Amino acid sequence: MALTEVSIAASAFSESTTDYDELLKAITRSCARALKATCTLGLFDETGVMITPVAAFDADPRVVEVFAPMLHRPRRYDESLVGQLSPATGNAFLPAFDLTTLGPRIAPDTFRFLSDIGVSGFITITMRVRGENLGILSVLQHDRSRPPLDEFDREIANHLANLAGFALANARLFRRAQQELAGRLSAEQVSEQLRESESRAVEANLFLDAVLENIPAMVFVKEAAQLSFVRFNRAGEELLGIPRMEMIGKTDFDFFPTSEAEFFVAKDRETLRNRHMVDIPEEPIQTASGERWLHTRKVPVVDDRGEPRYLVGISHDITDLKRDMAALERARDHAERANAELEAFSYSVAHDLRTPLRAIDGFSQALLEDFADRLDETGQGYLTRVRGAAQRMAMLIDDLLKLSRVTRAQLNRQTVDLGDLFRAIVTALQRDAPAREVEVAATGDLVTRADPKLLSIALDNLLGNAWKFTARAPVARIALSAEDRDGERVYCLADNGVGFDMAYSHKLFGVFNRLHTDQDFPGTGVGLATVHRIISRHGGRVWALGEVGKGAKFCFTLGDTRGP
Amino acid sequence: MTDRVILLVEDNRDDEELTLRALAKSKITNPVVVVRDGVEALDWMFRRGTHANRADHEVPQVVLLDLKLPKIDGLEVLRELRANEATKLVPVVILTSSVEEQDLVRGYGLGANSYIRKPVDFTQFVEAVRQLGLYWLVLNEPIPR
Repeated sequence: MALTEVSIAASAFSESTTDYDELLKAITRSCARALKATCTLGLFDETGVMITPVAAFDADPRVVEVFAPMLHRPRRYDESLVGQLSPATGNAFLPAFDLTTLGPRIAPDTFRFLSDIGVSGFITITMRVRGENLGILSVLQHDRSRPPLDEFDREIANHLANLAGFALANARLFRRAQQELAGRLSAEQVSEQLRESESRAVEANLFLDAVLENIPAMVFVKEAAQLSFVRFNRAGEELLGIPRMEMIGKTDFDFFPTSEAEFFVAKDRETLRNRHMVDIPEEPIQTASGERWLHTRKVPVVDDRGEPRYLVGISHDITDLKRDMAALERARDHAERANAELEAFSYSVAHDLRTPLRAIDGFSQALLEDFADRLDETGQGYLTRVRGAAQRMAMLIDDLLKLSRVTRAQLNRQTVDLGDLFRAIVTALQRDAPAREVEVAATGDLVTRADPKLLSIALDNLLGNAWKFTARAPVARIALSAEDRDGERVYCLADNGVGFDMAYSHKLFGVFNRLHTDQDFPGTGVGLATVHRIISRHGGRVWALGEVGKGAKFCFTLGDTRGP
Repeated sequence: MTDRVILLVEDNRDDEELTLRALAKSKITNPVVVVRDGVEALDWMFRRGTHANRADHEVPQVVLLDLKLPKIDGLEVLRELRANEATKLVPVVILTSSVEEQDLVRGYGLGANSYIRKPVDFTQFVEAVRQLGLYWLVLNEPIPR
């Protein structure tokens, strides 16, 4: 059987002497038929360093399809299969072969091809004619239902390679003679130009292949007539869970539910008909790992007559993005509901909790006024304490409300001069305590972008504290300053008041945390918590430095002032 | 000339008592009519429902209006008063616990003449009522009857 093929091959080769391209095909075709395997043919360049695959044949057209991108693309001999395994002789025979034993230096596309077809054994033979290495004939067995390649197969391959080598040499001679006849003068120029444009094409192809195979999006190419796949990249294989070997030559209807395939094909037709890119923002697709969502663009590729030849598709997997968007949407709804509830709660706190306090305070006062004659001093003292407690609670409620308002408020950055805010607050404080003598100063570049309302509340609290804690200083001093530290604007408000012990500095900004008794310095312990929240809302930080008896210094930053 | 009435719209008995006490302490002698929800306030003003048979045609010299009321809230009462020819010029002072910005804005937006937050400290409350009475009942010249 095989021998019959060899004799047919011999006559086919001699007939093809005048048609070089047909000869190359005939060699691999005869080889593949004789040995029931894939046969490929590569030719050396003049230096013997580079080898270029020129033909491949297999009874299964899909194999040929998969090999096609490697054709006419020179690669280094030492990165080829035989170059890796037996570079010196150029001949190798491995009936049982494991891809994983190959070195890392094999050309990536060669490796991919071998792995795609699932090669299990091979024979390579270098074709030598008159001492010149012409090329390599490779027999790649991948049909595992067949017996492994044996010595007989090798003999046949040798024989074919011999025949092919001579046929090739003859064809070359013939071609050279023809070329010389055709135009002696321009022959060299023509071949130079040919070489140049060939190398440019090869370069462009290599570049394209590198992009296609490594881009993290599915890229596929369909021919325009039947819309069957002619090209498919690695990201596509991973997304669909289908190897390209199975995709090539088939259509969407072979892989997807009918309704889905109909949708895809309709979009393909639309793209080809309009000769225009079609964008499909969302489309579901069934894959080996369940339903995924794609954002796809389809582009027609037209020939020089303007007729659509191919359709190129590029798909991004947006499943995770869609899921995250939905989760974000839910979280936002949830936050909005929670915010509305908080709003209602705060309103009710503002209104309802204060009403009983008013009664406690009011009726205590009524007792003091109307029943003074029946209450001794102790009794009156108790009522005064009841009133004091009610009023203090009212203050706490008010401060907590302010804190919650700060949290709820929309952050609205505008140009704001902290110096102006500082002076306005000082004026108000001075008006309430005209007897106090306080030296104030605001220095540095205090103009920034922040929420004026919120920042005013923060400064009000900080300045109020400074004002309060300097009450006993002989000469009270309060200063606001700005300076740049490590590329960040830092604002500090320093006073020479009673200060605090740094050991407790971590407690300063908590709600209801106080470092002084109410008798020493009245307060609710909400002010600095409010400051902290305002600064946090701006994306800034606030910290405090202090020493007992030496004053305190509160510093803060305001985050990215370009933000909203 | 008899003093014109003050209409106090207040659902809380404690607040009612304290307001009356504060008015008395401020030497305000005008008669005070107390209504306890929004519906009753409107019924009284427009002489309908339980107040359909109210003898006089009197328009109060000032309405002291709480915001959080049963049935119809204070802002709704205010809206109706302002929408009606007979009552659109009656001085309305919102007297409430709330100091939420939205209430202030909506209150003034609907045509409130004044907005006072009831302080918890009764001493301050008396002072607030005294000033309120002084302004609306003594200094302010009412619209002729």
